[in-house]
Amino acid sequence: MSEKKSLITVLQEKQEELGYLPMDELYKIAEETGNSPARVLGVATFYTQFRLQPVGKYLIMLCKGTACHVNGADGLEKAICEELGIADGDTTEDGLFSLKTVACLGCCSLSPAMMINDDTYGSLTPAKAVAILRDIRKGEVQ
Amino acid sequence: MKVVIGKGSCGIAAGALKIEHTLKTLLADTACELGIAGCIGMCFLEPIVDIYAHGVLLRRLVRVSESDCAIIAEAVKTENLSLLDHLTVSEEDNAFLTKQTRIALRNCGLIDPENINAYIEADGYKALRKVLTMTPENVIEEIKISGLAGRGGAGFPTWFKWNAARQSAGDEKYLICNADEGDPGAFMDRAVIESDPHALLEGMLIAAYAIGATEAFVYVRAEYPLAIVRLQKAIEDATAKGYLGENILGSSFSCHVRIKAGAGAFVCGEETALIESLEGKRGMPRLKPPFPAQKGYEEKPSNINNVETFANVAWIINHGGAAFSAMGTENSKGTKVFALTGKIKRGGLVEIPMGLTLREVIYDIGGGIRDDKEFKAVQLGGPSGGCIPEALLDTVIDYKALSATGAIMGSGGMVVMDEGTCMVNMARFFLDFTTKESCGKCVHCRIGTRRMFEILTRITNGDGKDGDIELLEELCEGIRGGALCGLGQTAPNPVLTTIRYFRNEYEAHINEKKCPADECAALRSFAINKENCIGCGLCAKKCPVSAITGERKQPHTIDNEKCIKCGVCFTVCPVKAVTKNGGECNG
Amino acid sequence: MAEKVNLIIDGKPCVAEQGQTILAVATENGIDIPTLCFMKEYAPYGACGVCVVEAENVPKLLRACSATVSEGMVIHTDSEKVRKVRNIAFELIMSDHDGDCLGPCRLNCPAHTDCQKYVKQIADGDFAGAVSTIREKIPLPASIGRVCPHPCETACRRQKVEEPISIAFLKAFAADEIYKNNTKVIPEKQNSTGKTVGIIGGGPAGLTAAYYLALSGHAVTVYDKMPKMGGMLRYGIPEYRLPKAILDREIAEIEALGVTLINHFTVGKDAALAELRAKHDALLIANGAWKSSALRCKGEDLDGVFGGIDFLRAVALGEKPAIGKKTAIVGGGNTAMDACRTAVRIGAEEVSIIYRRTRAEMPAEDIEIKEAEEEGVVFRFLTNPAEILGENGKVTGVKLQVMQLGEPDERGRRAPVPVEGEFVTLHLDSVIIAVGQKNDPAGFEDLPTTARSTIATEEKTGLTSLDGVFAVGDATNKGASIAIQAIAEAGRAAKAIDAYLYGYEWNYKEPVVSERKESSLDFSDREQLARAIMPHRSADERRHDFKEVNLGFTPEQAMAEAKRCLECGCHDYGHCRLIHYADKFDINCKKLDGEYHPCFTEERLVVIERNQNKCILCNNCVRACAATGKELLGLVGRGFTTVIRPECRGENLLAQCADCLLCANACPTGALRILK
Repeated sequence: MSEKKSLITVLQEKQEELGYLPMDELYKIAEETGNSPARVLGVATFYTQFRLQPVGKYLIMLCKGTACHVNGADGLEKAICEELGIADGDTTEDGLFSLKTVACLGCCSLSPAMMINDDTYGSLTPAKAVAILRDIRKGEVQ
Repeated sequence: MKVVIGKGSCGIAAGALKIEHTLKTLLADTACELGIAGCIGMCFLEPIVDIYAHGVLLRRLVRVSESDCAIIAEAVKTENLSLLDHLTVSEEDNAFLTKQTRIALRNCGLIDPENINAYIEADGYKALRKVLTMTPENVIEEIKISGLAGRGGAGFPTWFKWNAARQSAGDEKYLICNADEGDPGAFMDRAVIESDPHALLEGMLIAAYAIGATEAFVYVRAEYPLAIVRLQKAIEDATAKGYLGENILGSSFSCHVRIKAGAGAFVCGEETALIESLEGKRGMPRLKPPFPAQKGYEEKPSNINNVETFANVAWIINHGGAAFSAMGTENSKGTKVFALTGKIKRGGLVEIPMGLTLREVIYDIGGGIRDDKEFKAVQLGGPSGGCIPEALLDTVIDYKALSATGAIMGSGGMVVMDEGTCMVNMARFFLDFTTKESCGKCVHCRIGTRRMFEILTRITNGDGKDGDIELLEELCEGIRGGALCGLGQTAPNPVLTTIRYFRNEYEAHINEKKCPADECAALRSFAINKENCIGCGLCAKKCPVSAITGERKQPHTIDNEKCIKCGVCFTVCPVKAVTKNGGECNG
Repeated sequence: MAEKVNLIIDGKPCVAEQGQTILAVATENGIDIPTLCFMKEYAPYGACGVCVVEAENVPKLLRACSATVSEGMVIHTDSEKVRKVRNIAFELIMSDHDGDCLGPCRLNCPAHTDCQKYVKQIADGDFAGAVSTIREKIPLPASIGRVCPHPCETACRRQKVEEPISIAFLKAFAADEIYKNNTKVIPEKQNSTGKTVGIIGGGPAGLTAAYYLALSGHAVTVYDKMPKMGGMLRYGIPEYRLPKAILDREIAEIEALGVTLINHFTVGKDAALAELRAKHDALLIANGAWKSSALRCKGEDLDGVFGGIDFLRAVALGEKPAIGKKTAIVGGGNTAMDACRTAVRIGAEEVSIIYRRTRAEMPAEDIEIKEAEEEGVVFRFLTNPAEILGENGKVTGVKLQVMQLGEPDERGRRAPVPVEGEFVTLHLDSVIIAVGQKNDPAGFEDLPTTARSTIATEEKTGLTSLDGVFAVGDATNKGASIAIQAIAEAGRAAKAIDAYLYGYEWNYKEPVVSERKESSLDFSDREQLARAIMPHRSADERRHDFKEVNLGFTPEQAMAEAKRCLECGCHDYGHCRLIHYADKFDINCKKLDGEYHPCFTEERLVVIERNQNKCILCNNCVRACAATGKELLGLVGRGFTTVIRPECRGENLLAQCADCLLCANACPTGALRILK
């Protein structure tokens, strides 16, 4: 059965390949899929999954689901932002960390939780979260 | 003996992979079989390891850590399970399961989700076989008898939607499964797909047969990678076995199922936005009419149901609609799955017959509030729902009864809050979510949720003004009546219910600049009493943002610019020198 | 043929085709349902949400742009429920619409003169056009341009760059140019209506009303007690500021419209108010405030004490008031400046200003203070007359209480307080008291008055409690103010009188407008260009005569000055659908104030200037562009931060945009502007 890939699927595959979606690639995709660049950019900026900028080596996904909120995710966010000197959605200057708050990681029983790349950290406190980040940074320095 | 490791996302997050790996090594040379299962729903006890002999569950081991693996291996090898007493689930915790009635979750945590034979052994695909001998009309009739209603939140009768799509002109029709579970605090659909993907597929196939669709999609959140992997495997296995694809089980019925990964937009849970997204566009809702049953995906008649709805279908066909409608209340039939989370002792996935009270779920199943705190409210329905106070805990779980409280049944998020949760901040939390997730198409939602968020933010920051509550109420009414889709129309619910039941908290923030729950950081302050401080430096060491400075053995000070009001200094100070909100000290 | 559908919209039975939308049927039946994002060429979109209507027995409101009619429907387009939802939509849109409908100059002018338009016309060299624009509000542009304290300039945004535009002088310049060339810039007069209007008082207000009422075709008679028309412009403003030849010329133009001017006519003496009422179909009282306010200190009745406006009037009438060699003027306003500079010109050798606050608090215009100083006037700040001293009934001096500034009041103005026991004495031949002016109610006793003894009127229209009698200007309500205020009131009263003569009521409502928030203004990218300095005669030269101080701009100077205008007001005002409806529904634009959506700097799309601050995301332009098959415009981002951007690879944008202008024409606001 022939399957026409939707624009979203094309973008997902490209991001999977490159880690993010550079503008040039968007133009290329527009040409290849017969969509206007405006439409491609419109789709790429609508969904939170798509990134037009590269992310840091460590992508921190901080859960801001309801359970995490109730259990103190706001404090975690403040502490992480303060520690890294970046805001939600940004990457540290050294390219080491990116912070992204997400709606729900689906591990509500571990709340408040965050994921750094593929590892999940649960039952956090601001101090624990900061310690984890410092450990990673220390590991990088060595 | 068989050792089965719970490998749902939450189990994995809690460390199931490491345990699997370790046990694999330890049990490598034994006759002991190692298996996996999905999520049993006892998230508060993860990671969970079950020990079976001849298909009978002998032990359920909970909160297993890597270091427990040796003793588990030892016990299994020596068949001395008493070694595992300390890991075995307690009677009390087990009450979490025994008080449930599982239909949609019937196989979850019990069978291997990656093995189609496990599903078939559990009566899987029996209903599909039966359906192929029935007329589509009879199938719809059976669903009508069951009283099954859409479990995604709106509670619209499932048979009606199926029938509308069936009646719609055109021979190309689509069946769509909405697995874009975006409510923060809800993970029912994820658990079903991860733990029992074939139950979803079988339900979808029956629905496709009933409406006359030969193409089906599962629109699943990209944030659920494990679910996607397991569902993909299930599709392949089912196709290989002839349950899916051309001429299913030798009949003239053909149906293909494809997975479409969403790309992160809560609004795509709305039917028409989901269709736009399936078509590869920005997920912005369409004007209705036309409804999807008339013009849906690619302008063709389409039917959309959510995961839990489909998960019930095979059971209904196997047991009859009447068996399903025998459970529940007059206007809400069958069971409902909830993701019970928050300040609850036993949190996880709960499936109960409609008609139980909230109190029964929270106290009998969930075990009540953690840390002996006071119950304050329970949030149902996520960003579209509302907060229900203590006084209404005896409300039965029923579409109508819950709506009357200002909340909604919703898709199943049930978040419990205690005295330490600020209800204004709770409303702000949901509006923060909604304003970020608003697609931006209609004015009421795009700007309206933003303005509500700004007003709530200023209230929680202690900058609330006289008249803010009334302004919020006015905005709520306007947005509810004017927003284009369900997301916008229901966005005011968290605000309206918190104002309705916790108006005093709003007033305290606005008039007295106080947060009664002591949660709002801007209204909190910490200071170190110079007289009492012994300069031990513990607070400075523990402060996550280095806001505390001071010479050793000299009184320390807090830099209020830096302070994030987390309160750790207050908690750790050995001499109670840290004061909160200008007075109160720890002790 | 398909069956017809019967329905009722706002009580009106309508017949429609199957499948028609409510909006289409309402439009066909002359019922206006607002919409911003509906374009009949394209499928309904549903974004703006202002077209909601209520259908009986339908719980949810319907979007009229897309909901189709059905048999027996009963629709309400303006029910309470509709209003709530619709008004919130407009309030929300306005809260996120970062644009000025009208420039601050126009908004701050009491008459709402379209300053931006005439300044632009001057910049373009269209001086006649400029005068015609000014005359829509001010029939005396050369006179008012010279004397107006210009609230327009006070509000001018150009101050955020360096200095305000010299709007008032530009006004005078344009009129001077026209008069110089004898160009007639007066609209066609309407045919005679046969109605007569009597106007009492030939000052700026009376003349303004006479002008507009005459243009409307009414027979107008102006009665004035002074020998000549002009009121305070003639008898209160010195010649060196406003040469009377210019005033005469402007009055002559009004007279040429057929207005009868009767001087030496005092109401209550030459005729009673009732007689004038009987004689005319309507009356307008604009008799001004011609009494100097008293200082209320000892010695005020001495010979040699003059009232400020009394003194100026005497000089204007050609008298030589005996002020002697040494005089002091009490007060800090423009009348005080006029009086001291006039005193210099009639030969006083030592002229001082006595003012109880400091220069910073002086209400007089800065340039007046500066020029008075240059002409040798001495300013005695922080002093206040305690007693006017005299001998034999004649002024010999003044005893001054020394003052200091106290704590600021709630308006931030620091009140003067006496320094206990500190006094200074000045030796003087005369004292001129210019601390305010009052109206004289004599002759107008039939009319109810305010607590200030002014005539009480309905503020917007000037209507008094007597049928057919209107009153405006210094004699009414809050009392004396500036000329442009009286002109504004007279202009509105003329409309109200016109309506009255036709037998209906005219009500004035301030237009609902969008105004940018101070916080969103950023002019850091503008080049600094100094304000034009008005050429003027030197102090040594001018202090000896009454010839005009200012020499006027050259056309080059005026045009360069006019080009400094930032053009704050929106090009789309008058066409903008958003503000049309916001005004219609009386929307409070500031009620839901909050953050604005983010914006990119202005981007040009070939010949279209895109101002995303004003964009309301109706998506009309995107859909219009998509309909051409090009789809150069698109929505970018999500939710509140969504913007519309043109997107094209490299420079192709210019090549691809076909200049079809469909996008700009589809824009319901001023976000897109065609530059051709």
